[in-house]
Amino acid sequence: MAIDRNSVLDLIAEEALVDRAKLVSEATLESLGIASLDVISIVFALEEKFGVVLEQTDFEGVESLGQMVDVILDRASIEQP
Amino acid sequence: MSARVAITGLGCVSGLGQGVAAMWAGLTDGVGGVRTLSRRFDDDPRFPVEGPAAFIDALDGSAVEARAGRKVMAQLDPVAAMALVATHEALEDAGLLDGAAQLADAAVLYGAASGGNTTTEQGYGRLFLKGQPGVHPLTIPRMMSSAAVSQISMLYGVRGMAFAIASACASSAHAIGEAMHLVRAGRAKIVIAGGADASLTYGSWSAWKAVRAMAPDACRPFSAGRSGMVLGEGAATLVVEDLDHAHARGATIHAELIGAGASSDAFDLTQPDGDGAVRAMAQAYADAGIGLDQPCLISAHGTGTPLNDKTEAKALRALFGEHIARHRVIATKSGHGHLIGAGGAIEFVAGLRALQAGLAPPILNYLGPDPDCDLPLALGAPQPIGCEVLMSNAFAFGGLNSVLVARRAA
Repeated sequence: MAIDRNSVLDLIAEEALVDRAKLVSEATLESLGIASLDVISIVFALEEKFGVVLEQTDFEGVESLGQMVDVILDRASIEQP
Repeated sequence: MSARVAITGLGCVSGLGQGVAAMWAGLTDGVGGVRTLSRRFDDDPRFPVEGPAAFIDALDGSAVEARAGRKVMAQLDPVAAMALVATHEALEDAGLLDGAAQLADAAVLYGAASGGNTTTEQGYGRLFLKGQPGVHPLTIPRMMSSAAVSQISMLYGVRGMAFAIASACASSAHAIGEAMHLVRAGRAKIVIAGGADASLTYGSWSAWKAVRAMAPDACRPFSAGRSGMVLGEGAATLVVEDLDHAHARGATIHAELIGAGASSDAFDLTQPDGDGAVRAMAQAYADAGIGLDQPCLISAHGTGTPLNDKTEAKALRALFGEHIARHRVIATKSGHGHLIGAGGAIEFVAGLRALQAGLAPPILNYLGPDPDCDLPLALGAPQPIGCEVLMSNAFAFGGLNSVLVARRAA
């Protein structure tokens, strides 16, 4: 399964149980109710579905959803050039 | 003098339906909640869970979800979801749903015979079946035996002592008994007590089958031709409260919890010896300070296995002697199945409801008398009873016994 912005957002909506329509780049993780436990679940699902290996610490300083997706896609492009 | 103890809230969910009213209707309509279960692990036909069971079709978590949010409810193992549904009803019944101040010092004692079986088996499935390298990061927080306790505490703001109690099929009865002692000792004014169990999973079902104690068709407590137990799933929660505290806040008193007894057979891991049961019942009666001749509704452990029922019948006759004729024995596992870690609590709730209604719900699937189980059984249609007192038995695998005695509210 190809990883792109859309598929990452689908995954986040599923793992963090957030309404997909609310997942806009400017939204903060806090406003979406995405807490550290959700990030752990998202990291797990990314590895499972896309083989993208991330650590929770990779998201340090990340505040918005757009930043979060960028971190994920950056890592994906390194692992799957 | 130690505090008197009231029951001010009741809640449950089982194969008979959701809520105490649904359970009571199911127990008295003569049909029961046992049907043919057909589930599969991971939708895989190689791993069927098929046979008679009292299962929950679809848990209605909407009331809990409205309070906790969809996310909390969606992340729970079924055992914790059932615990929250039953607890929500009990707290609503007790008028404590918005009782943050009242619950700040309250305690939670909740029975757990196994924990989150669904979560555990999903994890094993990944590791051993699919050869995947890891399990979901929430595996431990979902499957741990105390998960339901933490969820109850978080959702309702219960900040006092809180932990799970494990004694197999007596877990939730022990929880209620110890809740009574906590209140008596003045260590808590309110204790949320009960138990939950969700063992209708492929692994757990297979393990129960291996014990060879499961009936092929129906649970027939104390009946001739009985052939074993039928598993159920669900939860039952009670609000156990200092009687004066309950009066002061104008709570409805369902019953007074007046005695508890507990003992260990120190005999065998599966077989009951009877003596431990007699000691627990005698202790509960002594604690309650009532005479053996006072008409009593007995909510029996009554699993429907040949040996268990025979041993319980013998123990009851040993304790009560000729007075047994004044009492009435019910065995509601014939309706809601064996709820394992929630069994003691749901049978106590069923008994309390019967005491309130003045009606004994019939033992279902009864084929005829067994001379080894010569007891005054409630059979046929629901029968009027004149009992003021309830004794509820829970006798677990490994010989761990817990007996509760309650009196109808004045």
